[in-house]
Amino acid sequence: MQFENVTCPHCGLLCDDLSVNVTDLTVKLADSAHPCAKFFENASIESNTIPTPQISGKSVSEDRALEKAAEILRDAKQPLINGLITDIQTCRDAMAITEKLGGVIDHANGESIRNNGAVMQRIGKVKTTLSEVRNRADCIVIFGSKLSGKFPRLFERILLPKKTLGNKNVDNKKIYILDISTDGTFRIESGENNISRIFFDFPLLESIVYRLQEIIYKSAKNISTIDENTQCLLDLYETISNSQYTTLIWNSSEFNQDSAEQTIQAITESIKYLMQKIRCVGLPLGSSKGEMTANQVATWQTGVPLPVAFMTGTPVHDPARNDGMKMLANNEADCLLWIANYHSEDEPPNTNIPNIVLGHPNMNANNATVFIPCGVPGVDHRGLACRADNVATLPLPKLRNSHLPNANELLRKLKELV
Amino acid sequence: MAIKLTGGEIYDPAHKIDGKTKDLFVVDGKIRKSLSDNDKLETTYDLNDCIVMAGAIDLHTHIGGGKVNIARTMMLEDEHQHPHPGSDILRSGNGRIVPSTFSAGYRYAEMGYTACFEPAVLPVNARQAHMELADTPMVDKGGYALLGNDDFLLNMIREGATQNAINDYVAWLLDATQCIGIKVVNAGGIHAFKYNQRRLDVDEMGPAGSKPRDIIATLSRAVHDLGIAHPLHVHASNLGVPGNFATTLATMAAADGLPIHLTHIQFHSYGTEGDYKFSSAACEIAEAINNNKNVSADVGQIMFGQTITTSGDTMMQYFGHDHASPKKWTVMDIECEAGCGVIPFKYRDKSFVNALQWAIGLEIFLQVNDPWRIFLTTDHPNGAPFTSYPHLIKLLMNRSFRNDVFKIVHEGAQHASNLASMDREYSLYEIAIMTRAAPAKILGLTNHGHLGEGANANITVYRKQDDIEQMFAKPAYVFKDGTLIVKDGKIVETVQGTTHVVKPEFDRAIEKPLKKYFDDYQTISLNNFKISNDEMIECIGSEIEVHPSISNT
Ligand SMILES: [Zn+2]
Repeated sequence: MQFENVTCPHCGLLCDDLSVNVTDLTVKLADSAHPCAKFFENASIESNTIPTPQISGKSVSEDRALEKAAEILRDAKQPLINGLITDIQTCRDAMAITEKLGGVIDHANGESIRNNGAVMQRIGKVKTTLSEVRNRADCIVIFGSKLSGKFPRLFERILLPKKTLGNKNVDNKKIYILDISTDGTFRIESGENNISRIFFDFPLLESIVYRLQEIIYKSAKNISTIDENTQCLLDLYETISNSQYTTLIWNSSEFNQDSAEQTIQAITESIKYLMQKIRCVGLPLGSSKGEMTANQVATWQTGVPLPVAFMTGTPVHDPARNDGMKMLANNEADCLLWIANYHSEDEPPNTNIPNIVLGHPNMNANNATVFIPCGVPGVDHRGLACRADNVATLPLPKLRNSHLPNANELLRKLKELV
Repeated sequence: MAIKLTGGEIYDPAHKIDGKTKDLFVVDGKIRKSLSDNDKLETTYDLNDCIVMAGAIDLHTHIGGGKVNIARTMMLEDEHQHPHPGSDILRSGNGRIVPSTFSAGYRYAEMGYTACFEPAVLPVNARQAHMELADTPMVDKGGYALLGNDDFLLNMIREGATQNAINDYVAWLLDATQCIGIKVVNAGGIHAFKYNQRRLDVDEMGPAGSKPRDIIATLSRAVHDLGIAHPLHVHASNLGVPGNFATTLATMAAADGLPIHLTHIQFHSYGTEGDYKFSSAACEIAEAINNNKNVSADVGQIMFGQTITTSGDTMMQYFGHDHASPKKWTVMDIECEAGCGVIPFKYRDKSFVNALQWAIGLEIFLQVNDPWRIFLTTDHPNGAPFTSYPHLIKLLMNRSFRNDVFKIVHEGAQHASNLASMDREYSLYEIAIMTRAAPAKILGLTNHGHLGEGANANITVYRKQDDIEQMFAKPAYVFKDGTLIVKDGKIVETVQGTTHVVKPEFDRAIEKPLKKYFDDYQTISLNNFKISNDEMIECIGSEIEVHPSISNT
């Protein structure tokens, strides 16, 4: 059977124009050369054998697995609920059980979205969304060159669409991809579609951000030494100043993590400074594994973003203390409930503590104390997911009848048992 | 099962009952005047010394959707300063100014509210807004979909589309977004801001090739033609600008006699007189409301203290960003549809402007004669958190209390307002109109806001007290669809409300140009943009109640 307008939850763009063929439990994109084809094929279940729940690698009934999981959770003093690579309903139910357990909940990539959130918390933001960029941006500046690896269809769907609502400037927009050179030489590579890749002779990617900010704040005449790097950024500033709608795009994980927050703040301050006269906006693109989905749910249900700790009886956000991955590394959790049912590779980190995995049916979770294979949102059951720009929420369809349990229902049963 | 409420003093303006003592019965969640032989009486509540009203309805409160989450993130301090522990029946939460969803539902119920309406549902963000509302327990809810800055409509207007085609689009959008009304925010202005235009007046041509006046005229006509009970809900142009009362009057006129609701009108009632070039135009605005029966308004009263302003109006939020306190602000352009601006704000009683804003809100309340057309709101959280409603009711009902507060605000503001000379005091009957009967009527909720036979048994019982603020803050009993949910101001049982929607009929042919527009320009497909009824229940988590169109002939 072929399904149209299927949403792909495997990156934060949530493209929803896919045609998917389903035969029994095999899932394939109609276009096998599609950049997202391999993500979908990952959901196929070989030889139509539905994987069963396991305790320490041995097959058991779902009830037995849930009982064992509840026992582990009941015994834990500091349970950690992590992963959260899943749809909204599962995140909602994960919040509910974490609250009941008095545990900590975080997303596997929680750290990657905290930098943007912290800047929002401290100074606010000037932001835009995907359709707005697609139709209005006439100048795009991207910090770092790894973005299209993480968001395979960014150029096709957002930056270089066939048609726009804008004028000629939008249809012939200029795109600058800024990065540092590895060989100590400044160079510009001009390509098709007005795309310029500029490699600066700077030690760090963030140096570009800070030099550009300096230029924006001081304006050209006050910059003393002008080398190739600076001249190029002066020219870029000139282009931005003469554009209708400049969009600055970044992925915080490309910045040095120790100072990413300050770097994002510098970008935001630059945008706000420019806004006094012209339109300029930011588009942070980080979410590639449902981080936004999990964070939005946590924020509306508790008033605070991830991580959320319930030890005191009320929800507390203290990322320094409750970062999920750091808690695991520092042995600060005594039990892990790992939820990840979008992709088989999102396995739980290695850990010595008892761990319960509600995971993708093709996941290798032999080391888990309890493993319950779950249906895949958008394949085995309906769901909802938030896009990287934090505005659009898209529906995920049900494409096949696998009878795999829905992770959110498992969490509800588990909540009754703990 | 049946329950009996006996001995209470009933305020039910929909049936012109003004403080008459009589019994009420509740059978299967509905109000009944008497019991039949089959009804088994389970509980009797003795309500001597009590006041009985229908459950209150807030027709304008920002409690769901992306901008609220932005506000929560920006007000992290407030969240942590106001933690709400959970219990066997309650989920925990945080926040006073922008509470988490469960907490918002609990606080509303504790004040005797049984329905709340989110007034700014961005169509592309409608799923999230509905999920947040679904996670807001205790109360019924609904949303107004934002139109009037979306490229699709602006293109239709510029290209001279027929009113019928526009009506089809409006009805299609209501269906797709599961909303109960249409709101326009700074018509054309949010769109113009994307083209770096910083102001747009009612009769000014915007970059989309239309004037705000045309947008309001077209949309108010569409809402009327489609038989949508709630009039076009309008956040007028030039919010917060001294002298904007003229814009507000022009906006009322743009509806050309058709029903129009002006929201948070306090922020749109400013003159330019006096030393500060900022003055009250409440008198002019109230007079216009009094003289134009097609106009209704909610006030958007401010209260002194810290809050955060969340609005779709990027243009005017950016205009006001220098006043942010603490110093941080967010603006966002959204999906060729709308925008949002989120700015923390501290209203200070010793500030001339803030003190006068406070007075202007009250002047409007006191000078609009018809309580059926003026609504009690703080535009939560923009003027103040909704939890300040009991205080606001006291300001309206108690002149000496009002004047005592007024005496300590900025002296210049006292001279600039004639508030102290206004001796009107709202009666309980009038409060029942503006918080119950009138909002139900203007939203088309026929089974809400009254205590007549067959109404949903949403009932709030207050124990009579000298201090009216205390009385309204902690009802003795609140019933939601017949279930006792609050006793002595504390939640005793949690319930899940429904989502109220309208689905006027339209010609499906409108989907042809819409499909082309979505395919050519949008980043989501037409099919996935639409929220189906079963998605509301199965994925979003709320039942819906569809209200019929009204006849406007
Ligand atoms: Zn509002």
